[in-house]
Amino acid sequence: MDPAEVEFLSEKEIVKIIPNFSLDKIYLIGGDLGPFNPGLPVEVPVWLALNLKQRQKCRIVPPEWMDVEKLEEIRELERKEGTFAPVPSPYYMELTKLLLNHASDNIPKADEIRTLVKDIWDTRIAKLRLSADSFINQQEAHAKLDNLTLMEINTIRSFFLDSLNFMYKLRSNMQPASSKGKAMDY
Amino acid sequence: MSDALSDDGSHEDSQEDVMTPAELIVKLEEAWLNEKFSPELMENRSEVVECVMEQLTHMEANLQRVKKGDAKASIHRMEIDRIRFVLSSYLRSRLQKIEKFFPHVLEREKSRGEGEPSLLSPEEFAFAKEYLANTETYLKAVALKRMPPNLQTVDMIKAVPQPYLDSFVFLRVKERQENILVEPETDDQREFVWSCAVDLNVEVCVLVWMAPGDHEPAEITRP
Amino acid sequence: MFCEKSTELIRDLQRVHDGQLPAFSEDGLRQVLQEMECLYEQNQSDVNEAKSEGRAELIPSIKLRHCCLLRNQRCVTAYLYDRLLRIRALRWEYGSVLPANIRFHMCAEELQWFSHYKKSLASFMRALGGGEGLDITQDMKPPKSLYIEVRCLKDHGEFEIDDGTVILLKKNSQHFLPRWKCEQLIRQGVLEHVVS
Repeated sequence: MDPAEVEFLSEKEIVKIIPNFSLDKIYLIGGDLGPFNPGLPVEVPVWLALNLKQRQKCRIVPPEWMDVEKLEEIRELERKEGTFAPVPSPYYMELTKLLLNHASDNIPKADEIRTLVKDIWDTRIAKLRLSADSFINQQEAHAKLDNLTLMEINTIRSFFLDSLNFMYKLRSNMQPASSKGKAMDY
Repeated sequence: MSDALSDDGSHEDSQEDVMTPAELIVKLEEAWLNEKFSPELMENRSEVVECVMEQLTHMEANLQRVKKGDAKASIHRMEIDRIRFVLSSYLRSRLQKIEKFFPHVLEREKSRGEGEPSLLSPEEFAFAKEYLANTETYLKAVALKRMPPNLQTVDMIKAVPQPYLDSFVFLRVKERQENILVEPETDDQREFVWSCAVDLNVEVCVLVWMAPGDHEPAEITRP
Repeated sequence: MFCEKSTELIRDLQRVHDGQLPAFSEDGLRQVLQEMECLYEQNQSDVNEAKSEGRAELIPSIKLRHCCLLRNQRCVTAYLYDRLLRIRALRWEYGSVLPANIRFHMCAEELQWFSHYKKSLASFMRALGGGEGLDITQDMKPPKSLYIEVRCLKDHGEFEIDDGTVILLKKNSQHFLPRWKCEQLIRQGVLEHVVS
């Protein structure tokens, strides 16, 4: 899946904004939003929050998990454990990128947050690569891997699936009386 | 603006309960992701496609009438663009697979039983047939007719590769599943199940080895 | 050696980077077809001889030639089909009118195929949503925010946007503006898209 498409999906996540304008309730196909009143928090999808922010019509409230202490805890947990820690959000990576790129002035300690999230990502990806590697090498039947996000799966998706498929083909070719392996000649 | 579908009298599929527009969009996105990640063409969801297009047309028409400078207009427009992207991408995914596996797709459609749901929408079916005819005509005209008499035809079913159904896929199961039964690959009774659970939502991502002919990859929903 | 030419057809095609369409090899194809004709005629006469005069020792060569014929057919078909896939991709990349230099690389039958393909695609798109129609060759990428950041390259005076606000486009000023409003000004060189 295209990273742009994963980002597209992440933009559906809901975030709180503080508008500086008034607008009564708006009835979108996907659901109702608002009403909007200056100074009063309202929940909107990220795609709208970013647009309003760009037009200087709101301030974005960082999600609860986008907090230095919370992220430090998660990073520690991630580094300690061999398995994957629960994610702060299924789109933690994409949302961090989007919000820090477009609304860093609304996010306290933005630079630290950026670094922490990157550390968490790096640790998880490293773990993922190791597991995928050993899974393929040892043709393991079972691996318990909780809490992966779409973007993380994406980084190994094609390599992983291609390898597994390829190895499966090789194994099938070795099976006696198997029709799968035979070259189809017409 | 947020008419429930039933008010439009637009839903034709008697199996679907009345859906709100929001639920419709969720269904579309699911169909989109399933189609994207499945190696083979999935069942058509033309009732969803038609209903979504109706919603888009309806909304576009409203936007034409709205006066200049309306603050809501740009928000509606952004939503329309997003929905239209998902819809286009979904239809493109399907078309690509139809073109890639055209003889097999037509064969599957031909051999489905009475009462079984259609693989292709009527438009897709017409397109697939035209694609087959166009390609066969082309091959004949450019080369085959100039070949020896016994070599002037090519069996498309044999010549065009089939979708790789033994492909591994990632599955996202929407609700907790007990006892996922996966056919063993070899006599050693191995299970190839790699499961992840996202605790927050009790969702399970499963990497499953699909048995040949297993046509139900990513959409496992249980009440 | 038999089938060398047909293998060369495919190899040459493979050498060209994915997606690009090299010139159609009329010569190459003709040579393969000629070889096939030769092989076939030789086989015809050998088969007759084998039958009428019981010359069973001819059978291995008959089989060999038959294999070569099949291989040539397969290679030619693969060559033609791979080119079709590239041509198909061109519709999606360039639209329904192909640049002249690409058309030049296509044989008459390929141009025909392309013409039918794009008609078929157009009918398909028109029929979508119960006849409402949808151009699925658009919206290839997820939509980003409606607004883009632009820098003003020259003084352009006042500029009104959707919600009634008026922006002053002064040289070197930067703004967030609705994308479609900017597109023309960008083309005219008044604005420049700032990609952050």
